[in-house]
Amino acid sequence: MIVQTALLIGLVLFSVLAILLNDLLRSAVSLAVASLLLGIIFFRMNAPYAGVFEISVVAGLITVLFILTIALTKTDDEVRESRLVNWVFPLAFVAFIVIDALVMKSLLGKVPALASGAEPGTFGDVLWKGRTLDLVGQIAVILAGVFSVLALFRKRDKHD
Amino acid sequence: MINTWYLYLFFAAALVFAGLLGLLAKRNLIKLFIAIEVISKGVSLLLLGTGFAKGNILTAQALVVTFIVVEVSLVATALALIINVYRHTKCLDIRKLTKLKG
Repeated sequence: MIVQTALLIGLVLFSVLAILLNDLLRSAVSLAVASLLLGIIFFRMNAPYAGVFEISVVAGLITVLFILTIALTKTDDEVRESRLVNWVFPLAFVAFIVIDALVMKSLLGKVPALASGAEPGTFGDVLWKGRTLDLVGQIAVILAGVFSVLALFRKRDKHD
Repeated sequence: MINTWYLYLFFAAALVFAGLLGLLAKRNLIKLFIAIEVISKGVSLLLLGTGFAKGNILTAQALVVTFIVVEVSLVATALALIINVYRHTKCLDIRKLTKLKG
């Protein structure tokens, strides 16, 4: 429990760092570290498949995509961020944490969740038999992503 | 003894709020997208935490795996869009996109 809490605190800290840091490369790396911590949390929750996906895809692939984009969009003049951010962000975040700690306990009974019960079979059974439509949707989403990237990077015709 | 569900909901809410604050405060397009990523981390933590606390870990895992695949597709498309915006405006400032002219 203590290790899990420490990992969750680390996850929030690195996520906040990823938003607050001014250097884009550093914030991409801290986002990757946050994903790694989330993957470890998933492993500790007895969810190895979600953990593997989180670490390999989100911490690996998405970080590579981010770093590639940062390298491709290198500019001399950096985007000037608002000066208010540096003190408004931590203030608002700490205020939210306090409200969150006070309110979440009373909200716990009202949050709807699937009724608890023993699940039959393995992860494969649940994924292939229980959520077949999700998988079809996944294939459609991947295809949509591929086609949109192709459309965005296509070479211009002479008529354009 | 703290309720485990409370712990996960608490941290998921904190992550989502941090992402929303980042979306409101930042001006760099890549930074805005990193904030969206933080929100999506909060959502997947919420899904799996609820599944873990309620004893539906396999269903929650299946949902999280689906969510991660959708997320990757979204990231690839959005980063391609950001590169295209950069080629047009030579800048990543969100304020330069207020005019919808080519």
